[in-house]
Amino acid sequence: MKRGWLLTLSLLIFASVILCFPLTAQGGKEAAADSVNPNEEVYPGVKRGDTLIVEDPSGTLINPDSFNVWNVWAGGNGGVSNGLQQLAMDTLWFLDPDAGLDGPWHNSLAAAEPIYNSDFTQMTAKLKKGLMWSDGVEFTSADVKYTVELLKQNPTLLFGSTFEVFVKSVDTPDKYTVVFNLTKPNSRFHRNFTVRWNACWIMPKHVMEKDIKQPSDALAYTFNPPVSIGAYVLKDYDKQGTWTLWEKRKDWDKTSIADFGEPVPPYVMYIDAGPSDKRVITQANHELDMIHSIAPEGIIKLSENEWESNWFNGFPWGHPDPTLVAILPNNAKAPFDNVDVRWALALSLDMKKLALASYKGAVTMSPIHYPPTGGSREWYFDPLQDFLKDFTIDAGSAGTIHPYDTTIAQQIADAARKNFGDAVPSDPERIKDVIGQGWWGYNPDAAAALLEKNGFTKQGGKWFKPNGEQFTITLLNWGPGNPVLARLGSMVAELWTNFGIETVATYSQDNGTMYNLGEYDVNMGWNIETWGGHPDLSYFVDTWHSDFYKGIGEMVNGRNGVRYRSAELDKIVDEVNVTDFDSDRNIELGLEFLKLTTKDMPTIPLMSYNVFSSQDSTFWSGYPTFDNPYANPVTNWANGRYIMTQLKQEMPPTE
Amino acid sequence: MKKKNIFKSPFFKYLVQRLGQFLLVVFVGITVTFIVPRLSPTNPVEQKINQMMVSGANIHPEALESFRSAMTEMYGLEGTVWDQYRAFWGRFLRGDLGPSLSSYPVPVIDLIKKALPWTIGLMLTTTLISWFIGNLLGGLAGYFPEKRWVKWAELGATCIRPIPYYITAFILLIIFCFIIPVFPTSGAYARGVIEGFNLKFIGSVLYHTFLPALSLILVGLGGWLLGMRSLVSNIVADDFVLYAEAGGIDQNTIMKKYVIRNALLPQITGLGMSLGAVFSGALITEIVFGIPGLGQLTYRAVISFDYSLIMGVSIFSIMGVSVSVLIVDLLYPLFDPRIRLG
Repeated sequence: MKRGWLLTLSLLIFASVILCFPLTAQGGKEAAADSVNPNEEVYPGVKRGDTLIVEDPSGTLINPDSFNVWNVWAGGNGGVSNGLQQLAMDTLWFLDPDAGLDGPWHNSLAAAEPIYNSDFTQMTAKLKKGLMWSDGVEFTSADVKYTVELLKQNPTLLFGSTFEVFVKSVDTPDKYTVVFNLTKPNSRFHRNFTVRWNACWIMPKHVMEKDIKQPSDALAYTFNPPVSIGAYVLKDYDKQGTWTLWEKRKDWDKTSIADFGEPVPPYVMYIDAGPSDKRVITQANHELDMIHSIAPEGIIKLSENEWESNWFNGFPWGHPDPTLVAILPNNAKAPFDNVDVRWALALSLDMKKLALASYKGAVTMSPIHYPPTGGSREWYFDPLQDFLKDFTIDAGSAGTIHPYDTTIAQQIADAARKNFGDAVPSDPERIKDVIGQGWWGYNPDAAAALLEKNGFTKQGGKWFKPNGEQFTITLLNWGPGNPVLARLGSMVAELWTNFGIETVATYSQDNGTMYNLGEYDVNMGWNIETWGGHPDLSYFVDTWHSDFYKGIGEMVNGRNGVRYRSAELDKIVDEVNVTDFDSDRNIELGLEFLKLTTKDMPTIPLMSYNVFSSQDSTFWSGYPTFDNPYANPVTNWANGRYIMTQLKQEMPPTE
Repeated sequence: MKKKNIFKSPFFKYLVQRLGQFLLVVFVGITVTFIVPRLSPTNPVEQKINQMMVSGANIHPEALESFRSAMTEMYGLEGTVWDQYRAFWGRFLRGDLGPSLSSYPVPVIDLIKKALPWTIGLMLTTTLISWFIGNLLGGLAGYFPEKRWVKWAELGATCIRPIPYYITAFILLIIFCFIIPVFPTSGAYARGVIEGFNLKFIGSVLYHTFLPALSLILVGLGGWLLGMRSLVSNIVADDFVLYAEAGGIDQNTIMKKYVIRNALLPQITGLGMSLGAVFSGALITEIVFGIPGLGQLTYRAVISFDYSLIMGVSIFSIMGVSVSVLIVDLLYPLFDPRIRLG
């Protein structure tokens, strides 16, 4: 009895401390705001007021001595989110996932857009003149040629295998021209040098050729200290891997970022900010200006402070990445190889419940096979509205139905308003922007009719397949590393189980392999990622061509893990491959793809992957937002470099 | 006088048995560590490809095929599991744990060497402190159960004991880094401080690791205190203690030589096990407070499916626990004459 009382007391103490945190997460921070000190040193001789502190989502780097950004084992799979790819590396072009500063496309090291010959077997890049490496040596075409040739001989380095397969030779007719001779026609070869998240970063030939005697030496090469072609240079880093400090170059105007003016912060520090709750605490203490991502609950709490900035500056808070979260049925496995079954699965889902269970309603949903981000509304979502409204399916005994429901966004907004009050927009146009224009209506009767049409029967509340076996699904769900999407998967399983298809959501580290081998029923994940700032589909669609189709038991090469194939799709992909990147026809092909996939429903598209990035405006302001979408605020994206030019220093050091 | 044959003594027999057990445990433990990751359908090459695809890498299918075969060759994953197993023992006996697969080509042993001092420093110190204070308080609490401070100590220990160590870590973080911000939220030492044997560095490390150490001590202390109190409570009612009291031996002597000494035996075994577990690291504490120890390394190894690194850390853990248990077993005869004399 006494022991029980003590246990209760301990739990009460524990609960009160935990409850104390959200209450103080606002008031406490305001007190902290009074005590912020721009003169405090974050590093010997480096003042807080001069330093932008950014979260490195890679966490503690286990090999911090390596700055070899071409090594696939480097943090972030060659991205190196400790500032290396954001501040010190550069390549020919950038394609912003949002609107960009002067449009999404930026000729970075290149002076102009890529130039192809008529059969796409040759690509020419004209380079800018006068750009300098941080050691004072000029950047030239020799650097580009060296990069490609070294990587070509090292297929285990990032882009090495791509160049091995596609590059016959590289010519440099002059210091500012590079000609890539390709082994086969490839109208999208430039994407290897076009940054969306990252791309092939150019190597300083004069530095690396001294250290790399044999091509294989490139693997163990540490590139430490890195010679920079960006506006910042490495000042110091933690040998234990918890922070990296960059300093603005005096000759920043000799780098490509100068196209948009001078980067503002004299110093930028990338830090391991720990788990989500700790990131909230650290930002509340004004010790972390840019959070890569936190749980929705964290940003909801932080956004109550005036100094906090986020993409929407309110509901739904998160930045929609150009990545489509979807339900991925195995199209090669019965009964998921049947389009009616896939549609039945879609119609037995209630998007309102999915939105509330996962992001508490803060979703940007998509009924089509394209993430609702960047310029997608203009290119695809608005033009397809009539098609979606007119779209019908033959639901057997339920007749011909119009599955598209344009009221769902409003329903989600109304439900979310119960939790978040006036933070949720009421203007219908704004709701379309932030939540979406519609999704597939919850229609279990039509779903049942579709199954019955294909010989399925319902007995005792459970569905049985035509062969008499019970229809069950094992759903490969997200793991504890992504609790928001894990909740989404659990709700999918619950809705299907309620509909009569017994569904078990499971997670193991092997989920990815099971999916790639095709040894699964249904997976939660994504297989569609787009440029975001450009309507071209090539970013993912070429790997959906049946030439690369892999059956069950074979490892998939590319993004078609759902094993969908169709002659119509091949026709579209073939034409995309020979169509100019910027042509109107490219968008028409995109529309054809989206109509085809709506009809076939190879995956069930749900929503964009919202990243809850939070920024602190105490020391710096001017971060990108939905209303000023000049860059992606998610800190591991390479285009974070553009943010440096747009920030305003709010509290410079006074000493 | 007949010379005693040491090889026939009970102690020698005991020693040989324990050494045999030690070698067997190490062999089986390492073999299991080798086999378990290989039972998974995932291999490090596919894991790497998965990571790259999920992170938005854009690799053409033909290039991916070339990448896969080059990686498989480089990782040394060609050949049967038996071939890999034999090659592994060959390397292991030469002290080579191979390259890390997630930080290729850095040797696993280098990564472990770098992380180990942090973990040992944190875990060894906190384990010894909590063991010493916990047993001292527990012994006094068991022997003087009616004293008021004993009741408070017991209350405190009972309150803290059920709270998982990582929750304690978060509570301390919230209290001392946010509500009363007197400690740093992250890192093993201040930025810009040069690592080395100097006062500035040592002071910075002590300041930065105070909270993680406190979280581990608080939770550990509660367990030792309650365990010791329970042991002492039983022993004080034993006949030999009552007999000593009846014989007029003073209380301090009874407590030290009769009660505590007997109660310490299982606690020493527990200490040995805890010291062995030092090599596993305090995973969540290290992550919460940004301590670059073995816990962090283990976490990185698991999420990146780095066979070599998982094995390297596991081997250290297996060796740590086995050696600690062996040492405790070898020390037991010093405390317990029944073992020494057979």
